[in-house]
Amino acid sequence: MTALAHERPAALSSPGRRIGNVMRMHVANPWPAVLLPWLILFAIHAMMLAIWAIISHYAGPDLDADAFRYSGGISWIVFYLMSIAIQATNATFRFALGFSATRRDYYLGTLAFFLITAAMFSTGIGVLALVERATDGWGMGGSLYAPAYLYDRSFGEIVFHFFTLIALFAVIGLLIGAMYVRWRATGLYAFFGALSLVLLGLTWWLLDAGWGPVGRFFTETPLVGILAWTLPVTVVLAVLGWVALRRAPARG
Amino acid sequence: MTAVEATRVTKTFGAVTAVDAASFAIPEGAITGLLGRNGAGKTTLMNLITGQDFATSGTLRVFGERPVENPRVLSRVCFIKESQSYPDSYRGRHVLAMAPHFFPHYDAALADRLVADFDVPLSRPVKKMSRGQRSALGAIVGIASRAELTLLDEPYAGLDAVARHVFYDRLLEDYAEHPRTVVLSTHLIDEAADLLERVIVIHGGRIVIDEEAEDLRGTASTVVGRHADVEAFVAGRDVMSRERVGGIASATVAGLSAHDKARAAESGLEVTAVSLQQLIVRRTGGDPHDARTHTTEEASS
Repeated sequence: MTALAHERPAALSSPGRRIGNVMRMHVANPWPAVLLPWLILFAIHAMMLAIWAIISHYAGPDLDADAFRYSGGISWIVFYLMSIAIQATNATFRFALGFSATRRDYYLGTLAFFLITAAMFSTGIGVLALVERATDGWGMGGSLYAPAYLYDRSFGEIVFHFFTLIALFAVIGLLIGAMYVRWRATGLYAFFGALSLVLLGLTWWLLDAGWGPVGRFFTETPLVGILAWTLPVTVVLAVLGWVALRRAPARG
Repeated sequence: MTAVEATRVTKTFGAVTAVDAASFAIPEGAITGLLGRNGAGKTTLMNLITGQDFATSGTLRVFGERPVENPRVLSRVCFIKESQSYPDSYRGRHVLAMAPHFFPHYDAALADRLVADFDVPLSRPVKKMSRGQRSALGAIVGIASRAELTLLDEPYAGLDAVARHVFYDRLLEDYAEHPRTVVLSTHLIDEAADLLERVIVIHGGRIVIDEEAEDLRGTASTVVGRHADVEAFVAGRDVMSRERVGGIASATVAGLSAHDKARAAESGLEVTAVSLQQLIVRRTGGDPHDARTHTTEEASS
């Protein structure tokens, strides 16, 4: 009986491998997080083309040059991935712990998975934006992948824009998910209650005295600067997510 | 060697004490039954052993170390619970595809054989599986993981009698070839009794029995015979229960020696060992359901 442990090879794999296994867990079925968003995106793309074609047909030569520059057909992806992050924590956390993963390996693997997802989607959108420009906005002067303020930005800026925003919202999703597994619904009520109060106070302050400096920040800081400021926020939220998750039980 | 050692482990949820100063040791290389009624604290205790939940007080050691957030310990452990949740998008095959990455001794060929034995529809989303199919999926991972410490919490909820026996047979077969430490929680005590080498009974969060199954079986016997003979024999002994139908009586008494049994046989009494289940039902304050069955039996006979 005492020889049991010696008959077997060392069971412990390296931390990198364990974190990689958690990432693998998120894509065992790649459908919801990786494939479906692209499919929805291409469906939206097809619809936008159809709508633009109908409008140009009836508007004829009177159409403004920037008429199709302000479509909002891409921003949903940020919120879609946030909802995936919220659900992922709830369903995969208990599964991962049931499969003998530690909370630390689970959180690092999940974080890495969402950063890679953010990189993949932002690069893909950047490439599609280049195609969009090369084809004169799909032959109709449209901007689906780099709309509005991204219209004349470089490839790097477009990719950075989507990467930082997807990462920020995915980490918000992970934090909400982590608070749910830690404190259940009670925790979320408390959190969103407190958040509303903070936002209310912030609005009050902005209207009263603060609009000057805040307005100046958003109008005078270059886009890349504003986006870069999300990075420390993302890091802080990721740390808060860990604080919530590290003592979360995996009860049924 | 002990696989699990608990010293005054307590877990409270608000005002409820789910596990109350539990101290016990689970030996390495044996099948231990963790038995008790619903809500006795079995699952909570297993959650604590595997670091899935945090003890309020007391110390737990698994292979000599704290299990919480400890990859050295957890990579040697497999815990299959009835309430295991699976990601929404998972089909049966996704669960089995993940298992080898998390359980270093996992045997995929064995898992394939078990899938055939239990007839689990691997291409079905786990969410849409029946309770029995989900249990079978968990049992397959639990047996095929060959983890040094395997904890199975009600592993066959929803399985029919045939599938349960497939489970016992396959578990024993593989256990014989690849010895490991198994902790099995169940309330189908009689069915699992032959498997168990050690028995831990938890009742209201407290450990009330922690003994070798063999010793436990010998702790009580039932004597049956003519009422007067039975009464004469049990006089002055520790009688756990009595039943009487007409002139025939039976009594369950604690601690009969071989000599006592021979004497009982001489006076025309039949002596039988009390089953583990009956014994535990008696030691855990009786079960209302079980008591009802007894009275109907008495009434009908």
